[in-house]
Amino acid sequence: MHIMEGFLPPLHAAAWTAASLPFLVVGARRIARISREQPRAKLLLASAGAFAFVLSALKIPSVTGSCSHPTGTGLGAVLFGPSVMAVLGAIVLLFQALLLAHGGLTTLGANIFSMAIVGPWVAYGCFRLARPLGLGVAVFCAAMLGNLATYLVTTGQLALAFPDPVSGFAGALTKFGGIFALTQVPLAVIEGLLTVVVVNLLVRYNRDDLNEVGFDRRSGFGQELGAAGRA
Amino acid sequence: MLPIDHYAWNNRWSDHHPGERILLFGGLLLLTVILPPLSSAPLVLIVMSAATVIGAGVPLAAFLRTLAIPGGFLLAGLPFLALSLDFSPGPRLAFSAEGARVALEVGLRSLAAMSCLAGLALTTPVSELIPGLRRVGVPQPVVEIALLMYRLLFVATGQAIAGRRAQEARLGYGTLRRGIRSLGVLAATLFGRSLARARRLEIGLAARGFEGELKVLTPPRALSATRVVLAGTTLLLVGATDLALGRLLP
Repeated sequence: MHIMEGFLPPLHAAAWTAASLPFLVVGARRIARISREQPRAKLLLASAGAFAFVLSALKIPSVTGSCSHPTGTGLGAVLFGPSVMAVLGAIVLLFQALLLAHGGLTTLGANIFSMAIVGPWVAYGCFRLARPLGLGVAVFCAAMLGNLATYLVTTGQLALAFPDPVSGFAGALTKFGGIFALTQVPLAVIEGLLTVVVVNLLVRYNRDDLNEVGFDRRSGFGQELGAAGRA
Repeated sequence: MLPIDHYAWNNRWSDHHPGERILLFGGLLLLTVILPPLSSAPLVLIVMSAATVIGAGVPLAAFLRTLAIPGGFLLAGLPFLALSLDFSPGPRLAFSAEGARVALEVGLRSLAAMSCLAGLALTTPVSELIPGLRRVGVPQPVVEIALLMYRLLFVATGQAIAGRRAQEARLGYGTLRRGIRSLGVLAATLFGRSLARARRLEIGLAARGFEGELKVLTPPRALSATRVVLAGTTLLLVGATDLALGRLLP
């Protein structure tokens, strides 16, 4: 999922950075506003960011015996909202490059676009759309489709940068997509299941924490419980 | 816990001004990406290894280990660039000379660029690079959050490792089903602890008169003119040698 340092041609690297920039500016302004209004929000966001870094470093058990990492985009988008997630995700990706040599500085823009922007927004959109079907279904769809969307974007980025000499962009898309599909679809399902387990546990044991990060407002979960209480 | 971070704090250049290293490693990274890779990449690899291992005194083994993991992924991915997919008479995979040339160029460029990233990461702590983000227009609150994140992520990583070990010792990852459940419990616990830590931090800071700005003391370090000139000369030399080599190579 991480495109490694120096892999993309300079023009592509610059273009993806430019594409990510507007989202980062909006997210950064939002964070600046929130932290002016409530100074403590900074501490909360930094903790959330550290959590996101650790989450992405956890190895998920997988079917084939090979190990992989969750993208965490689904959980992040559902817990913290997609616009804030763009900035937190960008910082996490920068740290992964500088602390783990995972990803890179020239490819940071492309990686931010797939993992901190498209992934969280797709996840959040699915979450809102599937919410009437129940919390579990919505969380599963968000995490699984967020993970798959991230991979589709990475595949597209690679295919654009390295079109097939014979069949062009479509050929390259099939070629890279074919490799990813084999490994990624099972992993996306596992990440979906994992995220459902996490959210169920949080709903059961960490209600105050969820309320603090604004999860109740985003998921309409507070009203539901309130209505149940009144009934 | 994170080996790269250990060397970043403990090398011969640790107490130099970070700007010098950003100029050297960042400049070479830019050159690597822009210049034609066939001639520039081997040159950059040599200069980077020398700067990191001989200059900054980072052990060669650590430098190679840092390159090994992304390098492995690179080797695994490159053959796919050299293969070509043809649809016209039905799907057919074939080796293509054009693709092989692209694969060689991308492999070299990527490896050289990785060595620049590894050099920068192994010689400069993240907390000295982040304040530089302020200069490129990142708002102050975001920079403060990033700095705080850097400090908190070691605490969180420690908890994650301890939790994982405890679960493994109790066969928590024995089967796939149980593994997913265990990892979910671990992630949920880490989330709760992260927020609890934020709350404790807030109380502690409030008791010390926190008004929204996290003030940190950075040790004053003078930019050394000699080292800046040396870094600049290295960049110029690499660029010039590459241009000369480019004339010789077809």
